[in-house]
Amino acid sequence: MSTESPLVVLPGEAIDPSLIPTHKKKPLRLGPGLRHIPPSEIVPTVAGQLVVDHRKTSMWIEYNGGRYIPSQGDLIIGQIARSATDFYYVSLSPYTPNATLPHLAFESATKKTRPQLASGDLVYARVSLANRHMDPELECVNSSTGKSDGLGPLKDGMVFDVSLGFARRLLMAKSREEGKVEVLEALGEEGLAFETAVGRNGKVWVGSESVKAVVVVGRALRETDERGLGVEAQRKLVKKLVREMR
Amino acid sequence: MTTAAPEASLNALPRADGSAKYSYAGYTVTASVNGPIEAQRRDEHAYEAHVDVIIRPSAGVGGTRERHLESILQSSLSQIILVKNFPRSVIQIVLQIESTPENAYVDTKLVQASLNLPIIPALFQTAVLALLSATVPMKATATSTVVAVVSEDGSKKIVADPSPKDIGEATSLHVLAFTSHDELLLSESEGDFTVKEWDDVYERAHQICCQTASKQAGIDMMLDDDSSGPNMRHFLRSALETKVASDLYWK
Repeated sequence: MSTESPLVVLPGEAIDPSLIPTHKKKPLRLGPGLRHIPPSEIVPTVAGQLVVDHRKTSMWIEYNGGRYIPSQGDLIIGQIARSATDFYYVSLSPYTPNATLPHLAFESATKKTRPQLASGDLVYARVSLANRHMDPELECVNSSTGKSDGLGPLKDGMVFDVSLGFARRLLMAKSREEGKVEVLEALGEEGLAFETAVGRNGKVWVGSESVKAVVVVGRALRETDERGLGVEAQRKLVKKLVREMR
Repeated sequence: MTTAAPEASLNALPRADGSAKYSYAGYTVTASVNGPIEAQRRDEHAYEAHVDVIIRPSAGVGGTRERHLESILQSSLSQIILVKNFPRSVIQIVLQIESTPENAYVDTKLVQASLNLPIIPALFQTAVLALLSATVPMKATATSTVVAVVSEDGSKKIVADPSPKDIGEATSLHVLAFTSHDELLLSESEGDFTVKEWDDVYERAHQICCQTASKQAGIDMMLDDDSSGPNMRHFLRSALETKVASDLYWK
């Protein structure tokens, strides 16, 4: 990102028109935290840092906290609340309406070979429909290729709650360079064998053969998030936790 | 007249979606915000979110006065929250009053039946801070203040952020709130006053709530012009800048 000081915006504040990226052909893309009031006003709706990407002609607000609001394409970890004739009802966060996950939205699922999930089971899914007037819909299969792309039921392991901003950092394509999270790499270098799945709704699933490893990975993630550790501190924390485990 | 600057801390409660603790002029209020969450049938609205304000007094259980304060805050807060974005849901704001300034001159128990106007700015400001901390989408931010008209030697004087003693002697008391677009959001008055007095009150409150939050000017005004009360907008901004900086420490 640019080196200039971060630009903090509050809801309703005017954005300097010179900051809005323009391109001859590509349309402007607005990310979370911004709203477009026709014809030409762009206003922030949350407090955060305004980020502008001139190459992709996009802008959004970077912030942390609050409740997860589903949006299309997000990867989430949900808990099955109950099963109906054609759907599973999946809880994404407490006290919000359940999302629906069709029984046949799994890889190579047919009426006879679909996964049988009980209430309380976990799924890693993608939000296929999010709309303010309807409950969100999920899928565990890529509808164009029919492949699961790593989505589906999560067996064993344990789920840890993290803040939404931390989940976003873990999900970044270059979480090490851009998100400044190295806990998972550091834990791997220490010789722990584990797998993770990160949900945009602030949940991280950790699975491993050894229960100790699951607990250590979970604690490392939680502490990194809660105490706001930098890269160096993350490595130190991992060293300490691994030493305590052994 | 109080000299202390307003203080706020955000995200103090770990389990709420957002929370804020605010103290100013002897009032301390803690707020938690949860939402958007699923609405109960009776609160459900097909096209917009229901803003649920709950006020808990520092001692005892809430009564009619609290319900009245809740209705005042509810109607003004739903103006600045983007309620249309979350149909059939609830945004729940719980305000716990922790302490109120004591009046050494008047026995507070005697005036319990009256409406407690001077606490509204503290409640309102805490609610706005907690909403911002919960990243509830909003149209604008808002600031609020209380102004008293006190008669002194036959002439009327306007006192911003009056002390309990000033309030006891005031001929009229006014609470005003403004959005960050300088629009009047809330106006509640009590006592006898003329249109001219109200205009003066409006001018004074507008000055306190709507001074521009530019960084340089803000500091200067805080230093040389403290007779006009604190610069609420500057305060709100600096509280949020601290929060954003700590949230995005990794940037």
